[in-house]
Amino acid sequence: MAEMTEEQRKAYEEKLKNMSPEELKQFQKQQCIFCQIIAGKIPSKKVYEDDKCIAVLDINPAAKGHVLLLPKEHYAIMPQVPEKEIAHLTVVSKYLSQIVLKVLRASGTSIFIANGFAAGQKAQHFMIHLIPRKEGDNLLPIQEKLITREMQEKVAGAVINRLNAVLGVKTPPPKETIAPPPAEDKEESAIEEKPQPPHPPIKSPTLAPTPSQPSSQPASQPMPPPEKKKKKPAPEEEEEAEEDQRKENVSLDDIANLFK
Amino acid sequence: MKCEYCEIVEGMEKYAVLFQDEQVMIVVKDLIVTPGQITIFPKEHFTILEMVPDAILEKCSTLANKVSMAIFESLGSHGTNILIQNGLGAGQKVPHFAIEVIPRIENDNLPLQWPPKQLMDDDMDTAHLMIKQEGDKLIGIGTKKEKKEATPEKKEEPKKVVEDKDGKKNYLLKSIKRLP
Repeated sequence: MAEMTEEQRKAYEEKLKNMSPEELKQFQKQQCIFCQIIAGKIPSKKVYEDDKCIAVLDINPAAKGHVLLLPKEHYAIMPQVPEKEIAHLTVVSKYLSQIVLKVLRASGTSIFIANGFAAGQKAQHFMIHLIPRKEGDNLLPIQEKLITREMQEKVAGAVINRLNAVLGVKTPPPKETIAPPPAEDKEESAIEEKPQPPHPPIKSPTLAPTPSQPSSQPASQPMPPPEKKKKKPAPEEEEEAEEDQRKENVSLDDIANLFK
Repeated sequence: MKCEYCEIVEGMEKYAVLFQDEQVMIVVKDLIVTPGQITIFPKEHFTILEMVPDAILEKCSTLANKVSMAIFESLGSHGTNILIQNGLGAGQKVPHFAIEVIPRIENDNLPLQWPPKQLMDDDMDTAHLMIKQEGDKLIGIGTKKEKKEATPEKKEEPKKVVEDKDGKKNYLLKSIKRLP
């Protein structure tokens, strides 16, 4: 964007205010370099296209084969993208990742979304980065550290209310009124999340047992230990057999086997 | 040796569990990039992204989007990164597919970035060709396309063949004359 005089800027703002939503949308598209690429007005190295999205090579890549996966529709930030499109984009990125691993013989791929300026989002058009990786390439050099149990639960307590609201999880009424508690003393334990019929639920007894947590949710389970042991019945042998089967079916064992 | 996430699914209490249903779990792990990081993973064991069935992957991704929104609003973050470390080369530590949602604030100096490079034209071209060749083979991912064939046209052809035998191409006129 070239620098404007004050007068020009005022005129510009006036113009924007007077635009209808559709006009504004058109205007955004014209300003967006990626919309121009999608429209074919700017040349690009396209590697995949369908009716909802397009994948091109990044011209300033992190590594050879760095792919940008973009929805054809213009969405500036992730919350604007409809759920179905996010789902579609993620599935496409899976297949593209498979291709990149195969043709470039990478030992991994990073699927990365930058959501917001503070997160490193550079363009005003939502996109997924698909970066071929190899050990020691020093891209996205994150370092993980251990946090205490207390800290985990603090985070959980801070987020749980909002998360439940966003997920549409109905929080059960506090303590007393929970219908026939299956057994024991833990009255709350039964209905923590959505009704989970057959599955012996792993309660989240870990959630905010500490009285310091403000959550009034019965998500706060006071009792930790006894519950989980009920889960153990899941026969480990079966799971191992299933795992083996899965491994046989997989064509990307090279990567999977690196973990052994 | 059991996978750590599978152990959590089975009931080991190493992580704080935020949500679970029959297919997925959302947890706060102990080994993280920054406090506030939340992890989503399918209960069923899939080592890497490519092994995850489409339906489960779609579910995980929409949940990741929702977790991201929840983080924005409850932790006061300025942004979020959504990251899949797919494979050892990408820094995957646990051999079980997962999506990380990482809260960001300005100037937090988290190294979730990379130096952009200028590759030689040759390199770019070869990468383009190789990936595009395979990319073009991907058809109908997650979409249902209906094919409609133009059957009316096929019906007209036999008529033309028959009429031509008469040596006259004015079959249309003839058909008009036949009309009552």
